[in-house]
Amino acid sequence: MDALLREYLPILIFLAIAVAIAAIAVGASWIVARQRPDSEKTSAYECGFDAFDDARSKFEVRFYLVAILFIIFDLEVAFLFPWAVTLGQIGMFGFWSMMVFLAILTIGFVYEWRKGALEWE
Amino acid sequence: MYVAAVFLPLIGAIVAGLFGRWIGDRGAQVVTCGLVGLSAILSIPIFLAVVIGGQPQSIELFTWMQSGSLDASWALKFDTLTAVMLIVVTWVSFMVHVYSIGYMHHDHSIPRFQSYLSLFTFFMLMLVTADNLIQLFFGWEGVGLASYLLIGFWYEKPSANAAAIKAFIVNRVGDFGFALGIFGAFFLFDSVVFDAIFAAAPDKAAETVVFFGTEWHAITIICLLLFVGAMGKSAQLGLHTWLPDAMEGPTPVSALIHAATMVTAGVFMVARMSPLFEYSDTALTVVTLVGAFTAIFAATVGCVQNDIKRIIAYSTCSQLGYMFFAIGVSAYQAAIFHLMTHAFFKALLFLGAGSVIHAMSDEQDIRRMGGIWRHIKLTWALMWIGSLALAGIPFFAGYFSKDMILEAAWGAHTPVGTLAFWLGIGAAFLTAFYSWRLLILTFHGQPRADEHVMAHVHESPPVMTVPLIVLAIGAIFAGFVGYESFVGHGMQEFWGNSILVLKGHDAIENAHHAPFWVKTLPVFVALAGIAMAYLFYMFAPALPKMLAARFQGAYQFLLNKWYFDELYDFLFVKPAFVLGQGFWKTGDGALIDGLGPDGVAAASRDIARRMSWLQSGYVYHYAFAMIIGVAAFVTWYMFNMG
Amino acid sequence: MPNLMPALPEIFLACAAMAILMLGVFRKKDDMRATATLAVVAFAVTALLVSGLGSERTTTFGGMFVIDGFAVFMKTLVLVASGLAVVMSVGFLEREEIDRFEYPALMVLATLGMMMMISANNLMSLYLGLELQSLSLYVMAAYQRDSVRASEAGLKYFVLGALASGMLLYGASLIYGFAGSTDFEVLARTFAGGHGAPHAGVIVGIVFVVAGLAFKVSAVPFHMWTPDVYEGAPTPVTAFFSVAPKIAAFALFVRVMVGPFGDLADQWRQVIVFISLASMILGAFAAINQTNIKRLMAYSSIGHVGYGLIGLAVGNAAGIRGVLIYFAIYLFMNIGAFAVILSMRQKGRMVEGIEDLAGLSKTSPMMALAMAIFMFSMAGIPPLAGFWGKFYVFMAAIDAGLVTLAVIGVLASVVSAFYYLRIIKVMYFDEPVESFDRPIGRAMGAILAVSAIVIVAFTVVPSPLVTEAEAAASTLFGE
Repeated sequence: MDALLREYLPILIFLAIAVAIAAIAVGASWIVARQRPDSEKTSAYECGFDAFDDARSKFEVRFYLVAILFIIFDLEVAFLFPWAVTLGQIGMFGFWSMMVFLAILTIGFVYEWRKGALEWE
Repeated sequence: MYVAAVFLPLIGAIVAGLFGRWIGDRGAQVVTCGLVGLSAILSIPIFLAVVIGGQPQSIELFTWMQSGSLDASWALKFDTLTAVMLIVVTWVSFMVHVYSIGYMHHDHSIPRFQSYLSLFTFFMLMLVTADNLIQLFFGWEGVGLASYLLIGFWYEKPSANAAAIKAFIVNRVGDFGFALGIFGAFFLFDSVVFDAIFAAAPDKAAETVVFFGTEWHAITIICLLLFVGAMGKSAQLGLHTWLPDAMEGPTPVSALIHAATMVTAGVFMVARMSPLFEYSDTALTVVTLVGAFTAIFAATVGCVQNDIKRIIAYSTCSQLGYMFFAIGVSAYQAAIFHLMTHAFFKALLFLGAGSVIHAMSDEQDIRRMGGIWRHIKLTWALMWIGSLALAGIPFFAGYFSKDMILEAAWGAHTPVGTLAFWLGIGAAFLTAFYSWRLLILTFHGQPRADEHVMAHVHESPPVMTVPLIVLAIGAIFAGFVGYESFVGHGMQEFWGNSILVLKGHDAIENAHHAPFWVKTLPVFVALAGIAMAYLFYMFAPALPKMLAARFQGAYQFLLNKWYFDELYDFLFVKPAFVLGQGFWKTGDGALIDGLGPDGVAAASRDIARRMSWLQSGYVYHYAFAMIIGVAAFVTWYMFNMG
Repeated sequence: MPNLMPALPEIFLACAAMAILMLGVFRKKDDMRATATLAVVAFAVTALLVSGLGSERTTTFGGMFVIDGFAVFMKTLVLVASGLAVVMSVGFLEREEIDRFEYPALMVLATLGMMMMISANNLMSLYLGLELQSLSLYVMAAYQRDSVRASEAGLKYFVLGALASGMLLYGASLIYGFAGSTDFEVLARTFAGGHGAPHAGVIVGIVFVVAGLAFKVSAVPFHMWTPDVYEGAPTPVTAFFSVAPKIAAFALFVRVMVGPFGDLADQWRQVIVFISLASMILGAFAAINQTNIKRLMAYSSIGHVGYGLIGLAVGNAAGIRGVLIYFAIYLFMNIGAFAVILSMRQKGRMVEGIEDLAGLSKTSPMMALAMAIFMFSMAGIPPLAGFWGKFYVFMAAIDAGLVTLAVIGVLASVVSAFYYLRIIKVMYFDEPVESFDRPIGRAMGAILAVSAIVIVAFTVVPSPLVTEAEAAASTLFGE
């Protein structure tokens, strides 16, 4: 039991440090900075939307486009990390597998570029 | 070559039928005539190879159905029997195709007509080349279909439609028997392939089946059932009523289908099944009786008909009767011989009649003809040839074959055979009589048509007369040429294994040794018939009217075709209507419809409405249904698995 | 390095999809003629590769991917269906002015997904193929994005499809959790030999997997999306939906049920029997009231899936052979029927009402004849191919003792004959209102003719298909 728990000790330390840093940041700004609140400043900020409003309100569809495109490449990176770590063990086949994967993503990327999906206007 | 001969007409039918609009009338005629002609030409080398070369062929195309021990292939079987039929079918069909170009040139739907003709030819070839009963049945039904389409070709005419339906339904009765016969054969022999059945027949000759608590001779049952099919197709007494009505179709059709080929399919089939029929004396006796009575019955009716085509139709019926009683006395060869000669002279007569009708501006009643022989000499001469052949005047084709049949009937030395012989003699007399009645009333004497029609009387174009001449050559020489090989001393060698005649059934052998009076009697009665026709219609025209008035009852009896149609109407059609009415109004309408179709239909619609209502269009309803479904399945398992 | 050869057709098709995409995006014009042609060529080449690989059972990619006779048979069907669907689409999309080059690319990608599904030998590769197929299909359903109905169809399909995928995944994870593997062969070994009833978790997992797959083949009660999507989606897309994905999903269904869970047949049979019955009955009844022919075809396809499921419920080689024959015939009936529906144009406008077919026999007799053949065949009237499809399935069911199922199937097919025959009645006995625009195009005419000929010819020459199906079915049972 102890052995199992000890394995999670680094995570506990990680959590403690994270909480501490966050507390320090908020606390420091509270102590050091000048406070001059108004209604805009105290409202919750959620990507430019009102947090408590009708969910069916209209907004710019381009947000979605960017978000979706972002997610794809975000995931690509998520795959790249473990691949990079284990590259020594998976050999050439592993290397080329990732290259194929990247090539396919690149084709998608070229497509969206040519279609003009990356231009805001 | 073998396959092409059978399938070329099909190609012609498809091309003319589906693409008739593109290739036009002329194109359809060229394609169908060309392909059938090619098939006719191919039939000659086939005949030479199979018969003269003595090499029967069996060509397996591919497996059709295989289910348990039922194993049927598409296969083409060529033996002597097939080869003879092949020649007859393709050549007569070719002649009719060509003739139709002239005869139908006024018609609006020539491609359709030519396509049907070719389709018919294909099915007929399929029938004669069949290698098993199922394929035979396929061809059998196919020619029935083609016959139906062609009788009803002028579908604007209600009478043509009625005749087509009648032909179809009467044939259904026969086909029902035929189908049962096939089932029976399969039941007994566990196969539908001819070779297997024939090989097993001797072993099963004594087999019996128990049916309704009585023992029956198995092969007899099968043969009788098959013969019922043959009766329907070949218009034998009882199932003959459709044939005269079938004359509603265009005349080339009557010549091809209802004289030369399709109606002889029954004869062919029974001859093909000879290895089976030979083991059943009862069946052969029945065949003899039916054939003999048909021969005399149809001849009597033919004597009083006034429609030129109907006379020839009854004559066909009568001649088919001859073929059957020949078969009944085991003279299959003679039957097929007569089948061949008959095909030539009867097609000639029909096409000649067509030529007359054509000349007389579509008049078919011989009472309104007469005196036209000067105007259409060629047709007149050809009709004479045809009639001489039909009446069995020496050295025309019919003489050889018909005499052979009569001698064989006598030679059977059985009571039934002798009866058939005398009935046949009677029919021969009547045949000659009605043939000359037709000739005299049509061509000789004073014109009875109005001047308008008479002015138009003209000889047909060469495209119609050339086929007639070709057929006439057949009608003159076919008997003489074929006699030795078909029924003479070359018989054994000629037929090979295609026909089986058991020892003791030696009618043909006896026929060759028949006394002189038997050999000459048919000719004498034929001459007597001709003489009487001359007396009645040339020299003493008042006589027939007097006789008709004197024997009013008999005359009416014959004129109304022995009241067969009325009898059937009374026995089957009317009761069927009454029964149908009853079933329809009370049984079907109130009971079955109310609870059955109408009720079920109403219920179906109701269920359908409810189900449509389920389809609300809301995604959450749909998702809900899915989740409920999964939940129900899981719950069900949880309860079932305890 | 795994052996890439078995997956060569898929690899080729993937490359083709990307090539089509690149070609389309770098061309000046936006139309789809060029890409559609490429797609058809790609399908043809892939079909050649599939048949060239032979049908010996081979696995690769660590056992995730399998080819065998069954896979070859099903892939060929799917490729034929997809190829025909592309050909049928061009005219319609051009007239509706939505002929963008992405369409063939999406179709190729969807087909790639289907081929993956058919060759899946692991719950993971199963899911991968299924999602590749589904994502492409979602887009295609909403392809006519200016049409409200099409957008609605796409959205509905997406939302419900996501739900179904979720169920499938949930089921897969349950199975993995309780059986310890996602590999079909390992699973089969685990369940083999009948060590009593499996754990309830496995059963629940199977139910969820069945639910997910039943959604894809649109079997009751997971069918609700079908009528709406079929009606809303552009007609060529509907034609595609009704054939290729259905066949692929059914192939997957068969592979999953008789492969890893083959020894649990007694457990899952009741579920399959139930959804089979429900599908047949609903397909028969609900279509009666429809006036839109696409909607009618939707219900009809639900019914057909029900008949196919009978074969699956039987679960032996005879049953699977029945399924294969059934879907091969279904392919041609449906493609043919949709070719007619795609030709239903009056004055340049597409019409979809059944009454618009009135008097078709007088205005276009050949088309009416072809449609009559398809309808008679779908109704299962002998001697057309559709009858034999049902015949083989029902025979298998009766041999396996599922007599009730077969009887209800026959009854349902009688009810469904109602609406098939009604179409024929409308075509042949109602007075024509207005004829359809002519000509229908050479490609469409050819598809019509070929489908009709196949349906008729099957009766005469059944042996090639039956033999192939028999061989393909037996590979699933290791005989």
